[in-house]
Amino acid sequence: MSADERIRSIAVVGGGTAGWMAAATLARVLKGACAITVVESPEIGTVGVGEATIPTILSFNRWLGLDEDEFLRKTKATIKLGIEFRDWGRLGARYFHPFGPLGQAIDLVAFHHYWLKLRALGDASSLADYNVSAVAARLGRFARPPADPNLVLSRLAYAFHFDAALYAQFLREYAQARGVTRIERRIVDVTLDGESGFISSLVLDDGQRLEADFFIDCSGFRALLLGQALGVGYEDWTHWLPCDRAVAVPCALGGDTTPCTRSTAREAGWQWRIPLQHRIGNGYVYCSEHIGDDEAAATLLANLDGEALAEPRFLKFTTGRRKTIFHKNCLALGLAAGFLEPLESTSIHLIQSGISKLMGTFPGRRCDAHDAEEYNRTAIAEFDQVRDFIILHYCATERTDTKLWRRCRAMRIPDSLAYKIAQFRESGRVAQNADELFTPASWVAVAIGQNLMPARYDRLADLQDIAQVQAYAARLRGLIVRAVEGMPTHGDFIARL
Amino acid sequence: MRANDSIRRIAVLGGGTAGWMAAAALSRALKRTCEIVVVESPEIGIVGVGEATIPPIRQFNASLGIDENDFVRKTQATFKLAIGFQDWLGPGHRYFHPFGKYGATMDQVDFHHYWLRMRALGDDTKLSAYSLTNTAALMGKFLLPVEDPRSVLSSLSYAFHFDTILYGRYLRDYALARDVTRIEATVTDVRLRGEDGFIAALVLGDGRTVEADFFVDCSGFRGVLIEQALKTGYQDWTHWLPCDRAVAVPCESAGAFSPYTLSTAREAGWQWRIPLQHRAGNGYVYCSRYISDDQAAATLLANLDGKPLAEPRFLRFTTGRRNKFLNKNCLALGLAAGFLEPLESTSIHLIQSGIQLLLAMFPDRSCDPKEEEEFNRLALAEFDRARDFVILHYRATGRDDSELWTYCRHMAIPEPLAYKIDLFRRSGRVAYQGRELFTEQSWLSVMSGQGIMPERHDPLADVMPLDELKKRLDRMKLIVRQAAEAAPSHRDFVMRHCPAPQERLP
Repeated sequence: MSADERIRSIAVVGGGTAGWMAAATLARVLKGACAITVVESPEIGTVGVGEATIPTILSFNRWLGLDEDEFLRKTKATIKLGIEFRDWGRLGARYFHPFGPLGQAIDLVAFHHYWLKLRALGDASSLADYNVSAVAARLGRFARPPADPNLVLSRLAYAFHFDAALYAQFLREYAQARGVTRIERRIVDVTLDGESGFISSLVLDDGQRLEADFFIDCSGFRALLLGQALGVGYEDWTHWLPCDRAVAVPCALGGDTTPCTRSTAREAGWQWRIPLQHRIGNGYVYCSEHIGDDEAAATLLANLDGEALAEPRFLKFTTGRRKTIFHKNCLALGLAAGFLEPLESTSIHLIQSGISKLMGTFPGRRCDAHDAEEYNRTAIAEFDQVRDFIILHYCATERTDTKLWRRCRAMRIPDSLAYKIAQFRESGRVAQNADELFTPASWVAVAIGQNLMPARYDRLADLQDIAQVQAYAARLRGLIVRAVEGMPTHGDFIARL
Repeated sequence: MRANDSIRRIAVLGGGTAGWMAAAALSRALKRTCEIVVVESPEIGIVGVGEATIPPIRQFNASLGIDENDFVRKTQATFKLAIGFQDWLGPGHRYFHPFGKYGATMDQVDFHHYWLRMRALGDDTKLSAYSLTNTAALMGKFLLPVEDPRSVLSSLSYAFHFDTILYGRYLRDYALARDVTRIEATVTDVRLRGEDGFIAALVLGDGRTVEADFFVDCSGFRGVLIEQALKTGYQDWTHWLPCDRAVAVPCESAGAFSPYTLSTAREAGWQWRIPLQHRAGNGYVYCSRYISDDQAAATLLANLDGKPLAEPRFLRFTTGRRNKFLNKNCLALGLAAGFLEPLESTSIHLIQSGIQLLLAMFPDRSCDPKEEEEFNRLALAEFDRARDFVILHYRATGRDDSELWTYCRHMAIPEPLAYKIDLFRRSGRVAYQGRELFTEQSWLSVMSGQGIMPERHDPLADVMPLDELKKRLDRMKLIVRQAAEAAPSHRDFVMRHCPAPQERLP
């Protein structure tokens, strides 16, 4: 590509987590070959306090070359080994969706088929007993996993809970040290090129104009560039995911910090609990048709581990995504691209994945439509697959105690999800497509956790002698518990940072 | 699940490569918990002599516990590093589609974008100079890959050429040793169950019947079970792949055997050359609209490396596939499932993949329609993407010297393929379309080999300073060349490790 076809300048609009994740990555990849400017408004608060992630964040941080201990210290982070779900399938029920594999396949047949068979024979162990991360979460332990694949602890998978504002701050320092310019200004107008309809510049509140070849919209729900300036429409998914508000509040730690997220289903939605080093992030995601704001806040405040540390903050949203995410010379990341409630902690991942897809289809200055087309094809597929996984939590419920849950039980779900559920119910297998974010183990953990029991297990599981399978399962459980008991507590791990 | 729902008896119809691959893999996986019967007809010839494969065959053999050297010796096999495509873009032009990787990814940018960058600056180094597999193939060398990713030898990959009849026998011995029953008989009728149309039994020429819970149709083109009995229906792809006949003949090898398959485009199709240890397999795949059988045979015989060892044999086919591979209690494998010309050596792989999917989704006696649906969703998609890859070779021709090539240059192609070509042409990127057999590297070698050149490269490939890039590329070329030069010749490698017995097997 000739030099004058290259992108020479990129403007990132928004200095939240998405904006600084994008700026940090671009600074690292482009190595000064392109001017990067982040415009952030001093007046607009960043959404997201305690934020939970999934293991892909490790590769993102490693790729930037961040020191994990330093990152943990600076973002007040804790370790996350999975999510505990309470009251989802039915009131009083609990299950754990851990990271990492559930047991180990025997002769190429996935372990949960053997577990289903053992269960039918009266075995009372839970699937989580065969997962290192779940057992470590239950016992409140953590140490980084060893590399040696022969050690059972090598299967420990983890992610983090961190303060999103501190993470953005951390990445901002990283980006600025690599030449990224930061402008603290409000954007009052966006000008488009009359001929191509491309964004040509941002008009700032001091009258300055910021021109760029490429724009990244990290402006949050408003989607200032992609939505407002370019007029890209929004697909509304409220009929599948009816929650449309959240109220959030931090509270004091009630005891030791725990290495897992907790999600408790409530009357009109669900409550999150995300432990950080210095406090706990809490929030109630709810459906405004079924509960008032005051009542939601009261429910949240009545269900905290410790004293509330701030006034509850309210958020409104419409679940869904932009019809296209990359349009003309603008890419949206984070909330500007779409919103999925944080039930499976996918927000940061979708930003990260959006950035990585941008690197995979990095455009020239003309921003040919085919780059955007390929980007949208893969990014939309990922977004929609994650959506299906979240809907699964709502539709696989036996709860009939409130309007929301009755509605979710009865709702029509996307065909893609209906197909997966029917396949799982029939055969215990997860119908997987290429490149799915959530592995079969995740689908199995949630489906079985919410009592969506398959009619049968894989027939080839019958080829193994059942007494041997029983002995193997017992040995594996024991091995995991003993190995985990040798690890320090999560509190000690954090204290030693 | 109740124990009495499980499949107790499987009948495999057909004793060709597909039939014995299925019987061997099933006997290994099911460990004598299920009776397996293979019905093979003594009268029906087995199609396919010299057969070329792709690297996943190694996993299939390994899953059976087969020793590689033993297998090579007993099937007269040679090693395959690549396919050489002669005259596809135009007369006199040649390129290779090697297994294995080109160059190394640098700063997360795929290697070929750096190659494209240098090319735009006037550097005419071929992409193949960065592939050890390709370079070794050109020099007639062979060496085994290593796992250590720091070594250039980790970029190698390989498959085999072998005699399919010997491979069928090898697997037959394997299966019989694991209690598979073999019945030599002709099937004269297929009995269906009245209530659900499932296959109940095969009726044999001597009046015996073979009942089973599940049937594997490896009966070849005819599809005795999947089509004649179950009326599954066939999609005809002749408008995309117009060749409909082949003529095959073995010949003496001219001494050294090449570690690659050679595919030469001809007036009305293309000719294969598959080197085995004791001879070479040859064939001309052609379109009967544009050339007669006699002319095709004459062309083939005029283009052999050595003396022909048999009379030319003719085959007819219709490229396409069944509407379903799994239908009720019957799975079709091999030619009974569908036909793609062997241009990219996919036949054996598609059999293997069907068997592996059957084992991953093993049914019970009820053969639930939900499972059937999922099986077909996955298996048909794989078949269709392999089809697209084969069509690519015809569509991206530069030839207009005969009716066939003129037709292919202008024909309409499937939408996913058009998308892929278009994206590559504009940006140098290979779209990944899910459950694809052929990797980005394969698409890259054929597209760039046949003259589909991207208009630009990944802009991120421009980030590396030019001096540094040149230094790194020079080093890669040097390492590749040195490693290939240091390797033994393919013939020496075979003779040292896995020579077939001298005398011709009966």
